[in-house]
Amino acid sequence: MKKLLEISLGVVTSVGGFLEVGSLATAAQAGALFQFQLVWAILLGTICIIFLVEMAGRFAAVSKHTIADGIRERFGFNAFLWPLVSTFLVNFLVLSAEIGGVCIAAELATGIGFQLWALPVAFIAWLLLWKGTFGLIEKGVSLLGLVTLCFVAAAVILKPDWTRVAISSVPSLPHHDTATYWFMAVSILGASISPYLFMFYSAGAIEDKWDKTYLGTNRAIAGLGMSFGGSISIGVLIVATLVLAANGITQVDDYHQLPLMLTPVFGFWGFVLFVASLGIACFGATVEIALQQAYLVAQGFGWNWGEDRKPRDDPGFTMVYTVTIFAATIPIALGLDPLKLTIFSMALTAASLPLTVAPFLFLLNDESYMGQHRNGVISNTAVLFVVALGFILAVVTIPLQILGGS
Amino acid sequence: MHLVRDVLDKQIVDRNQVKIGKVDGIVARLRQGKPPRVIAVEIGSIALARRLGPRPGRWVAILAAKLGGERHAKPHRVAWSKARDIGLDIEFDIDVRKTAIFDWQVWLRDHIISKIPGA
Repeated sequence: MKKLLEISLGVVTSVGGFLEVGSLATAAQAGALFQFQLVWAILLGTICIIFLVEMAGRFAAVSKHTIADGIRERFGFNAFLWPLVSTFLVNFLVLSAEIGGVCIAAELATGIGFQLWALPVAFIAWLLLWKGTFGLIEKGVSLLGLVTLCFVAAAVILKPDWTRVAISSVPSLPHHDTATYWFMAVSILGASISPYLFMFYSAGAIEDKWDKTYLGTNRAIAGLGMSFGGSISIGVLIVATLVLAANGITQVDDYHQLPLMLTPVFGFWGFVLFVASLGIACFGATVEIALQQAYLVAQGFGWNWGEDRKPRDDPGFTMVYTVTIFAATIPIALGLDPLKLTIFSMALTAASLPLTVAPFLFLLNDESYMGQHRNGVISNTAVLFVVALGFILAVVTIPLQILGGS
Repeated sequence: MHLVRDVLDKQIVDRNQVKIGKVDGIVARLRQGKPPRVIAVEIGSIALARRLGPRPGRWVAILAAKLGGERHAKPHRVAWSKARDIGLDIEFDIDVRKTAIFDWQVWLRDHIISKIPGA
């Protein structure tokens, strides 16, 4: 019974925490320009993240190491420096984009320009980290995030042609804007397979003191939580297809085009729901990514870390999230377009994947860490696939960004 | 025991289970006609920078000495004889508060963190 409760809470948490600025923006753009055609990219990204999250949780539960700890210990400091620096930079850009997302929601709600919201938003997020505990952040923010399920509701109410949606789960070649099509596929994959997600998950497993008895829980949370989460992204894509594309909006190049997505279904409340979804989802991600930056650095260098400690007990850890969160407001406060930043950072996330995913292949097969819980054939095939995909993405991202990015 | 596999880059905790850093370097003494013997582990930015090459090592040493004074001009060393338990972490029988390893964190706490309400 206790396990069942734990699993449900875990699933709810991952569903509520799934949608963020990247998955929302990329799915909306894809639906507007290519209708259902890119459903496969969301599906593929979701399957990949299910495997990675399951492995990150299993690694933490069995070896008591976070992924960052594991990479440093297994490969040494010099090799660890590459994923450390690249993830740190990518996280920073994504964090900035998430703050931008909250600011846009605040602008939509109040009419006051988004730049002015950057500092207040960062301050509230910082305050939550400063005073809050891990449980409050993980569960509280994610429960509120369930509001994003309104996209799934809207998608169902709009009665899409489900056969066409199903057919689109198989990749197909575009009929127009070929470079943009592939660039969007890359951005969707980057938004779905975010390193911060599985690294945060492994740190969370340590914070929640998981051990081997949690392996079943872990599998259920990874599988169910991420699938439901992915279905929210598909919901966004369906709504974008049936509302934006159907009304002739094919180029989404401004967040201000998006609030109208839900009004045909829910009327005025659609606007409110959109603003709440954008604001809450991005705020949740802001807090989690800032925390993940601090985890990454503290774990990498072996300092004390833990969100449940008092700031004065882990000054180094506290300093990292404080500096990161306020520094990340700078691009937004200066007026950089949050949507451009989002798409750019999602593509960069995709390009950085090999550095964080390739170590899984070694860590999860290492007997000294995993004992008898090493990867089986299926998990290894999956991780090999993600690594290969990661390398392809890393190679094609920059050229596609030039050809197909807006 | 395999030094690079089982010791280098492992988490170090002190006797109060405070995480004080990772094994950033290993110091061994060469002995005539006998295998070298591990005498200490090194912790901190200088030891890390030296792993990247002699030049980064020198630069970081100069920087550390400028910021922290003579006490920080060399990597922090913990005698291997103090090692107690090698498992998930390596426990050393020391108290980090009596070393210079956490000087910067203490400075951070006293000068910045504790000035912010709610710390």
